[in-house]
Amino acid sequence: MLADVETKDIKVEGISYTYEGADSPAIADIDLGLEHGKLYALLGRNGSGKSTLARCLNGLLLPGAGRVVSCGMDTSEPGSVLEVPRHVAMVFQNPDTQIVGATVEEEVAFGPENLGLPTGQIRERVDRALELAGITSLATRQPLRLSQGQKQLVAIAGAIAMEPDFLVSDESTSMLDYSARVRVLDLFEQLRDAGMGIIHVTHFLEEATLADEVVVLESGRLVAQGTPQETLGDPQRVRSLGLDPLAVTVVAYELARLGHAVPEDVLTVKELVSWLYA
Amino acid sequence: MALRLRLEGVTYSYPLPGKDEAVAVTAVSLAVEPGDVLCLAGSNGSGKSTLAQVCTGLLAPSSGALYYGDERIEGRSALREFRRKVGLLFQNPEDQLFADTVEKDIAFGPHNHGLRGDALKARIQESAAMVGLPLDELGSRSPFSLSEGQKRRAALAGVLALDPEVLVLDEPFIGLDFEGRQSLASALTSYRAERGASIIIVTHELSHVWSLATTFGLLSEGRLVRFETREELLAGETDLAALGMQLPQWGSLARELLRAGVSLEDPADPRALAGAMAKRREATDGR
Repeated sequence: MLADVETKDIKVEGISYTYEGADSPAIADIDLGLEHGKLYALLGRNGSGKSTLARCLNGLLLPGAGRVVSCGMDTSEPGSVLEVPRHVAMVFQNPDTQIVGATVEEEVAFGPENLGLPTGQIRERVDRALELAGITSLATRQPLRLSQGQKQLVAIAGAIAMEPDFLVSDESTSMLDYSARVRVLDLFEQLRDAGMGIIHVTHFLEEATLADEVVVLESGRLVAQGTPQETLGDPQRVRSLGLDPLAVTVVAYELARLGHAVPEDVLTVKELVSWLYA
Repeated sequence: MALRLRLEGVTYSYPLPGKDEAVAVTAVSLAVEPGDVLCLAGSNGSGKSTLAQVCTGLLAPSSGALYYGDERIEGRSALREFRRKVGLLFQNPEDQLFADTVEKDIAFGPHNHGLRGDALKARIQESAAMVGLPLDELGSRSPFSLSEGQKRRAALAGVLALDPEVLVLDEPFIGLDFEGRQSLASALTSYRAERGASIIIVTHELSHVWSLATTFGLLSEGRLVRFETREELLAGETDLAALGMQLPQWGSLARELLRAGVSLEDPADPRALAGAMAKRREATDGR
């Protein structure tokens, strides 16, 4: 157990979860190792179990079978209820449902205050989180009067202020416009580079191409795991998982059918267009 | 069959406390022809939802005019009459679902319009079928017990049951997965084909409407900065990133190919794109 306390990874060991009154489990027999310092994309059609799995990672849901060991703590152990969310923070799709503070800085301070930290340390954490999220200039504004994109950055800053080892984003970009989404994804990459583990649930395959590793769920089971090239390259397979294949992979597939030797791992427009001149 | 819907120099300001107002839409002129699918796109806060509400007659322009066919729509009774021809699907389906069963929810509008008995039943069946909602399975369920995609389709069925000539949808694809988006898109395509309806879709995500829309109206800070077809959008130099948007990967690929001098018949069709690329590559290889 002592050795486990040192670890900053998440181990998902054969977990299943069934919602009350449901006939079948939302997720079943999932084994998964998640390392800090990596960006994961979690994909799957609606109802595939993505959000359920995401909520199991920080103890918001406790698996009915198997166990989740987050940063050395079994989420099902009574002592973990308060401790796990300090290490595994979550942001959700709709920032309106998670904002409570009257000003942006109060909002971001909410988490660290609950940790009972001294005022000076809270200040430092809030400043650092605001800076990382690029919203220092909004510190004294009312969160609910900000744009959707700005609100989501506030919610993320609130999560970062907890200085977690992992950030779980449950479709945090789906309501955002392109520029806001780019800012959020940039921030995820920056946090990853600083050593945080990011698990990003998304519908956008283009976002998943930025990940170090892609995890795909289907009917509550883990059906694909690997690099974006390994998991997203075959449009037929991607479609069979209920996902919208990348345009580039669809065209590359058609080119292959026409007898052209297109490299199998193209995911971006640039890669495919450069084949024209190769 | 829809008529031509036209905005002429439309400005809309929301009243604020005191005498202030917030201008959401400034001097927008555009026309939606019968059967058009217009995509109103822009970043958060660009005025696209407000503009869509002006198109439904829910908001009357602060200045400028709304025309339907040759008629200028102004004054309460004209607006009320016009609104009967327009269907609006809100971004959040829960904002418009309310009845205790799916069937009653779909029936509400046509019942209000005086439909009864078999005619009403037929209308409910027809609307549910158009959106691919199995009534025998879901008809007696509470709409709130449905999945997101089903809720969206139930709400749309309720709107279609009113047989609108103009259909306005605010961010209808948010939160739907690939299959949900496809089934919604095909419901819209068939409704448009069967009724000759015009469709206006508000979105911040061009990829969701890329193959569906015939025209793109791009908004920035309340102004309509571009109003063009997909082909014009691809051929032009419009910097979407500056407008807080991004071409979908289909579009970026087509644009790159056009710039490389590859001619494209249908830029939204994968086979056409692959065919054009193959031809180009074969020419280069001298095969």
